[in-house]
Amino acid sequence: MNTDTVISVKSLRKSYADLEAVKGIDFEVHTGEVFGLLGPNGAGKTSTVEILEGLRLRTSGEAVVLGFDPDLQKQQLKDRIGVCLQATNLPAKIRVQESMDLFASFYTRSISSADLLKRLQLWDKREALYETLSGGQKQRLALALALVNDPQLLFLDEPTTGLDPQIRLEIHGLIEQMKSENRTVLLTTHYIEEAERLCDRVAIMDEGKIVALGTPRELQQKSQTQSRIQITCAQPFNGKPIPAWPDVVSRQLEEDGRNLTVYSTRPARTLFEIMKWLDHEGLPLEDVHLKRPTLEDVFVELTGKHLRD
Amino acid sequence: MRVYLELIKIDLKLAMRLRAVIFFNYLFPLIFFFTFATLFGAGSSRERITQVMTMSVALGVLGNGLFGAGMRAIQEREMNILRRYKVTPITPGPLLVASMVTGWIIFMPYIIVLMALAHYQYHMPWPARMTELVVFISLGLVAFRSMGLVIASVANNMQEGTILVQLFYFPMLFLSGATFPAAMFPPVVTVISKFIPATYLVEGVTGIMQKNQGLGDNLPAVGALVITAVVGWIVGMKLFRWEKEEKIRGTAKLWVAAVLLPFLIMGVYQWIHKTQPAKPAVGALETQGIGHQRT
Repeated sequence: MNTDTVISVKSLRKSYADLEAVKGIDFEVHTGEVFGLLGPNGAGKTSTVEILEGLRLRTSGEAVVLGFDPDLQKQQLKDRIGVCLQATNLPAKIRVQESMDLFASFYTRSISSADLLKRLQLWDKREALYETLSGGQKQRLALALALVNDPQLLFLDEPTTGLDPQIRLEIHGLIEQMKSENRTVLLTTHYIEEAERLCDRVAIMDEGKIVALGTPRELQQKSQTQSRIQITCAQPFNGKPIPAWPDVVSRQLEEDGRNLTVYSTRPARTLFEIMKWLDHEGLPLEDVHLKRPTLEDVFVELTGKHLRD
Repeated sequence: MRVYLELIKIDLKLAMRLRAVIFFNYLFPLIFFFTFATLFGAGSSRERITQVMTMSVALGVLGNGLFGAGMRAIQEREMNILRRYKVTPITPGPLLVASMVTGWIIFMPYIIVLMALAHYQYHMPWPARMTELVVFISLGLVAFRSMGLVIASVANNMQEGTILVQLFYFPMLFLSGATFPAAMFPPVVTVISKFIPATYLVEGVTGIMQKNQGLGDNLPAVGALVITAVVGWIVGMKLFRWEKEEKIRGTAKLWVAAVLLPFLIMGVYQWIHKTQPAKPAVGALETQGIGHQRT
């Protein structure tokens, strides 16, 4: 295991009676990285994460987290990691500050709860009862509790599910802040744009296997899905024959004769050729859009499912 | 140690912020105390107020133990509170200890209020063996809270938990002498009561309060409660579940039987040897026609 490797997984398998939920997966997560685990329900990502958190025993294979074996050194591991779960609660009548003090007492080391609450914009709410907090405040408190032991590795399980877009952006900002502090984050999410924005690398899981692993850009580039180039000219093409540009799979001219849509497997090269042609024909360009395949497109291509399936 | 203190502190604060806790731990049993006192004419004799006191203590222990410990643990699991604790280094031990200590701290003021009311309002003399009484009540509380934790461990949800708790609570309430004096029981119920855990609680409190006995004079009751507390604790730890999704096998519910085993053995022993559990001073009740006329 590399010295900057925080999580190392080799041939990891997990079975429940007749069901094999994780079918021999391999990956590594490095220091300071935000690593995303994507997959539809039942893909095996929850089992994988729970094995790494020391909550579930693996059936076979190897897993090392922060140098600990999650099966054998559960308590030591839990003492060093931070976990923010999707569906958890605190007692309705507990105050924010009290919950911080309580959780701090669970760990062998803890950092100033005042600093954490200020950082997560909960300082003014420190005397508020849990039941009076909004969804966003509860999620920020969940993050504060996950950080109370100053962990270098954080597991964030769908941290923004069910939150409105504004609060989601707030949480994204906090995750980016954690990344800037060189913390390692393992993120599971249903939101593709979240993975695209936050993750340095993602692993796409389906039916217990990792079907793709890499940076979001690498995965997009590997995709067979074509990029779309949309050209709008100031005046119609006026029946000018459109050339057969290289790498173009299909093209479509709108009825107004000014809007042309081109699908290409190598969009940069195709776009260059289109620009050359427009210049040569003296057609004034008004607007151009290049849309590469999204991670969602890659996901659908690899799994045949949408992430929310 | 810090985690124990913090959990106890938080548990106490949370309990004091819940009206239901205040109502069911203090007001509700006090309503029964005054009802019993009125029904049995508690002001007319030392025996009667002592009997009322015994019944009120038993009622409080049963409620605090079974509902307080059992239902709260199920509720915390149902609400995914324990799931949040599960991802931290904490183990079930501190959570159960805190629950036990908090239950005791919350319960003791009720006993003090009861004693004061019985003494000042109904002229009950202070118990001669106060320390032994407090120790015995504490032991009963720990035993019944352990039993509540075992029920919480085997119940998969609030509905199941409510049914299980009530299956324990009501027979113990009515067949142990906690609500009807044991002196009123027909012979067949007297035999059944020997198998009811709460009978030994009532028996011990009766012995200490009404007959000035010590713990040593109530060894069978003390033994049964100690064994229940220990077995309940071990089973509660073994079956502790953090998440509602962790369903328990149907056969695991048999662990509840393990907690009841000491009482089964005690019941059989007493039945075979025709030993009578300590009975309250019933003469006064019988002369008023309240007690069952035994031959």
